[in-house]
Amino acid sequence: MKSAIYLLSIAVLALGLYSYEVRKENTNLQQTVQAQYTNSLTNASDKLSTLQESVSQSLLFQDENALNNELDNIWRISNEFRSTISSLPLSREVSNEWLRYVGNIGEEAKYAADNGDYESWQKRMPVVNQNLRALADEWTVATANFYQNDASISEWASVAEKETSESQFKNVTANLKSYGETDFPLTASESDWLKKRELQNLDDKEITKEQAIDKLELLVPGVKDATYTVTKSKDDAPYPFYHIQFVKGSRIGYADITEKGGYILSFLSERPVQEKTGITQQQIRDQVMELLNRAGYKDLQLVEMRENHQAWHLSLARVVGDDKALVYPDGIQVKISKDSGELLGLNAMEYVQKEEINEDQKVEPIDWEAFFRPGTTVEEEQLIFTENEAFQLRKCYQVIARFDNDLNETFRVVVDAENHDVIKVEYMN
Amino acid sequence: MVRSIFMTIILIFGTLTIIKPNEPLAFSGQTIERGAFGDDVIELQARLQYVGFYKGKIDGIFGYGTYWALRNFQEQYGLGVDGIAGGQSKDKLVKASEYHRDWVYEQIEKGNRFTHYGGKPLAQQTSAGAGTAESSDVQLPVKYSERDLQLMANAVYGEARGEPYEGQVAVAAVILNRLESAEFPNTISDIIFQPGAFTAVADGQIWLTPNARAKEAVLDAMNGWDPTENALYYFNPKTATSKWIWSRPQIKQIGEHIFCY
Repeated sequence: MKSAIYLLSIAVLALGLYSYEVRKENTNLQQTVQAQYTNSLTNASDKLSTLQESVSQSLLFQDENALNNELDNIWRISNEFRSTISSLPLSREVSNEWLRYVGNIGEEAKYAADNGDYESWQKRMPVVNQNLRALADEWTVATANFYQNDASISEWASVAEKETSESQFKNVTANLKSYGETDFPLTASESDWLKKRELQNLDDKEITKEQAIDKLELLVPGVKDATYTVTKSKDDAPYPFYHIQFVKGSRIGYADITEKGGYILSFLSERPVQEKTGITQQQIRDQVMELLNRAGYKDLQLVEMRENHQAWHLSLARVVGDDKALVYPDGIQVKISKDSGELLGLNAMEYVQKEEINEDQKVEPIDWEAFFRPGTTVEEEQLIFTENEAFQLRKCYQVIARFDNDLNETFRVVVDAENHDVIKVEYMN
Repeated sequence: MVRSIFMTIILIFGTLTIIKPNEPLAFSGQTIERGAFGDDVIELQARLQYVGFYKGKIDGIFGYGTYWALRNFQEQYGLGVDGIAGGQSKDKLVKASEYHRDWVYEQIEKGNRFTHYGGKPLAQQTSAGAGTAESSDVQLPVKYSERDLQLMANAVYGEARGEPYEGQVAVAAVILNRLESAEFPNTISDIIFQPGAFTAVADGQIWLTPNARAKEAVLDAMNGWDPTENALYYFNPKTATSKWIWSRPQIKQIGEHIFCY
């Protein structure tokens, strides 16, 4: 009996100690996380004030250098604020509205600096300045209780769980939404984003689901007589499409095909693939071009191919004009199995909605020897269409440039063909 | 007499094997060029490095570094300069170099940093790395890194491992769509770890080891596939409690997830 009581006491003591340790550890963790959140909150509040001051200061200058300096600051601070706000456990709605509004300010600043469009900036920003000041005040009120002495991690936990309409961020979110609609009706990046949804403008004849299956079987004869499940897109989808899921042997996959016109947006098939291959790179290339020709994609040029364990991924771009410029935003991607050369995937969404090409843009020659430092060799040059940072489609030079050193470091440099602005530099090794 | 002829043949073969131990194993019959990946490229890089033309990492990826090295080799050895490793180039390379296949693969598997230059003892050309194979084992579009792939594969596996393949590609595509949207952070890491954004982060399932299928799904999304038609959100209608998520315009359902703007 005595031994049992002794053992029980030891067990209770050990349990008590263990429980104390766990509790202590939890408290430490909670305090660390709370300190982290409070620090982020303080940073966010500071950056919001700095951003508002910077927007205000940008209205002060007429001098280009001074104004450009302020615009750079605004772009940088807006990015820092976005990063800080996204690290806080706010509800998605609150955080999305902040990211969007402040992201728009940063983007407008960058656009104004890049294009020298200072007049438009200074015309629009007085209102944004006022709104930012109001938002900063509301934010201070909404976040006051996080700095109280008895604030705890549970305060933060409840923020993410509450619906916005019931949280302390209700007013700030409503105002962000309303200011966003008036101050930035449609920014460049959103216009670009929406462009992807412009398939709603298709005015081709509607096809039936049987015709959609026929389209798929024309592209991929291998799936003929598969077991299909066809559903329509949801009512809110900006353009109606058929979602075809298929199973045939070990193949399982899907294809999305527009209801209007029956355009294949994407197709992907999964099956076990052997890594060993008997097909050459050249054969893969030939097979893809033949397949795309058969499916009616006749104006494409291969841009890149990448081999991996199971498959090849190929990128192709539309070719336009006498100078055979590549239109990168009108691309198609293809996935081919390494073991048999079978088509495993096709992504043609961007190709279906073709870009409008500006034929009037000038092409001014560039002296590459003066453009690049000595020791750099230009290996390839090609005209392409791509988007600049303001999301405008521009005709550009694409150059593959290489350092003449041991490592042969290689870069893809994209330069606007008219004003010679550098649009993009990518390290290619 | 027969016995001495037999012995001579064995001696000749033995000597040849010692002088050129790896030659019979040299390359497969494939012609390889930029974009290729795998064993043949590892051998190509190792041999080009052996003769001093390639100074980069031996990782099995035929990128520009390998391309220029091969062109330089072709030029110096009087071959047609096209940066494509066909029969002639490979034959010439095999004759001009040695290839210590087992040693090279041992270094790759151990994740060691190593080179394969001729005229220098191999033991002096390696130093311990991470202890696990960390060399590139996949080719990605240039704007993504292997860290992005790893992180996204963890997220996809944690969020959607029970979903069909299309559903896994879709989750990866949502992460990439967020990268383009003004309403979300600017990096893949910030998007995934945004508080409350993914259940797998909140419940720790993101730290499970992803399988090859999840990685392949991310690879397809990075290469452009988007089964969601540009969705920014998804939710499981059986478990979602937020009124807000139900207010988003819906696009389509894949497996257990509804995808929306």
